[in-house]
Amino acid sequence: MPAEPGVLGSFGEPSAAASAVRALKSAGFTDVRVAMPAPFPEVIAAIGKPRSRIDFVTFPGALLGLLCGIGLTVGTSLAWPLITGGKPVVSIPPFVIVIFEVTVLIGSLTNLVAVSVGSWHGGRPRVFPRHPTFNAERIGVLAVGGDPSQAERVLRDCGAEEVGRVG
Amino acid sequence: MTLSFERLQATVQATHGRPGRGYWLLLASAAALAAFGGWAYSLIVRNGLYLTGLERPGNWGNLITDFVFWVGIAHSGTLISAILFLFRAKFRTAVYRVAEMMTVFAVMTAGLYPIFHLGRPWFAYWLFPYPNQRAIWPNFRSPLIWDVFAISTYFIVSTVFLLVGVAPDAAALRDRAAGWRKRLYTFLAFGWRGTDEQWRHYTRAYLFFAAFATPLVVSVHSVVSWDFAVSILPGWHSTLFPPYFVAGAILSGVAMVIVILVPLRRWLRLQEIITPLHLDMLCRLVMLTSLIVTYSYATEILTALGEPASDPERSTFVYRMTGNYAPLFWLMVACNCLGPSLLFSGKVRRNLRAVFVIALLVNVGMWLERFNIVVTSLAHDRNPFSWRVYTPSWVEWAMTFGSFGWFFFWFLVGIKILPPVSIAEMKEELAHEGHASGEVAHAG
Repeated sequence: MPAEPGVLGSFGEPSAAASAVRALKSAGFTDVRVAMPAPFPEVIAAIGKPRSRIDFVTFPGALLGLLCGIGLTVGTSLAWPLITGGKPVVSIPPFVIVIFEVTVLIGSLTNLVAVSVGSWHGGRPRVFPRHPTFNAERIGVLAVGGDPSQAERVLRDCGAEEVGRVG
Repeated sequence: MTLSFERLQATVQATHGRPGRGYWLLLASAAALAAFGGWAYSLIVRNGLYLTGLERPGNWGNLITDFVFWVGIAHSGTLISAILFLFRAKFRTAVYRVAEMMTVFAVMTAGLYPIFHLGRPWFAYWLFPYPNQRAIWPNFRSPLIWDVFAISTYFIVSTVFLLVGVAPDAAALRDRAAGWRKRLYTFLAFGWRGTDEQWRHYTRAYLFFAAFATPLVVSVHSVVSWDFAVSILPGWHSTLFPPYFVAGAILSGVAMVIVILVPLRRWLRLQEIITPLHLDMLCRLVMLTSLIVTYSYATEILTALGEPASDPERSTFVYRMTGNYAPLFWLMVACNCLGPSLLFSGKVRRNLRAVFVIALLVNVGMWLERFNIVVTSLAHDRNPFSWRVYTPSWVEWAMTFGSFGWFFFWFLVGIKILPPVSIAEMKEELAHEGHASGEVAHAG
């Protein structure tokens, strides 16, 4: 699927890319996207998107792990209530260890699923045109929609090394 | 020369170049050592555990020592990647990938040894909870089951943490690779494109992975220490064990990172990325954890010596220091306490040969520490009638050395496939603060 129509500028410096994002936003471009080889904080701040909410998936996942841990230890002990070492059938202190490990395991795996889904969604070719240098040494700034000539002008003024139309 | 994005990527990519004769020789040696250990183990499978030196009361020996040693080695990766990430310690960037790889391969090694130690290893799956017709479940009150959960969770979470960290770097390498490497990096990149939307989720998820891994790393060696501490055996039954084991694990793990990094940075020409400053900071971690370990040694010995002469705890510690295994005990003290104290000198920390030797000796000392804990306590229990000196058989030694072959085999394979340095994090560092230079004058 081709990328959405827009104007793509390529930058060598994160500060220049951040300035371009801010300038595009000031010029009325509401949909500005970036691809970069590292999470440069100034670019992320300029984009101004809210913090990812994958915690809404990860924390319930950890909670599910906690419940699975409790179910596994307490449930299986009650299923065969054999007293060993004179200890109660449901012995909380040793069970806490297993419950903790299961919580971390399922929480981590849920976190993995959440980031994989988010990454797949945000990495579709339609979201950003494929360009190998944006994983290596360049930062791509894409202005979607709006007036393409104005976007080209803004990107050039901010020091883009290459500017071109996509989609 | 200042490191640029292009130069950084080219340097890391060059590490995956065609391996030389030395690499193949090392890989073949590691494989041969692992195969020898595997063959020695096959003798135990065919003939039984009588081929070991184990005999009552010494029912744990080299194999359990190897298990605890490798779990300890596995600790540095998560310490460096997760805990130092949460503490925003910048020096971790250049070294954490090697440490993470080391962690995964060390857990792969450690996990084998409890299975090797089973009389009937083909029933190892009994340790895992699975629905069965008889409704029999593992005994969750047993420390051995805690180990199963702790080690398997640690292995899975460490592997996930490593692979998630590799994804952006794999994308960078994918776009310039060809053939099977391109296919491999395409798989490892998980569709990574580096968009702001991807980074937004990734940075948050990475924080959560670090937050999960931090208590996990502390829990794992605490759980291993409880294998010993919840028993009533003198020398084992101690509330000091969890922090003592965790500190010891970090000491041995960081020392192993140094042992690997010193030759590796030269072999892979990574001197510009992994600088003496990074090794200096690792040396400081060794110094810190060595002090904690020394304090723990002193605490348990002085506590035991404060007891009356008839006390079994005192008897065990006096035996440990003066009995059959005394040379090993004092060698352990020299390697773990005296050796690292030399690192207080900035001059020693700047001498990479000296650092390598000290770190290597720490690894020897930490293996001996586990041997001292496991063996001397069992050899000198509460019942003088059953006292017996345990000597490992050649089969056990073959399996101990085989573990090093197994570990280094996977590490050598891994280093030629995965990027040994986090390219993305290094680029972020380069863009803002410049890379930590090789100058360590301020660090003295």
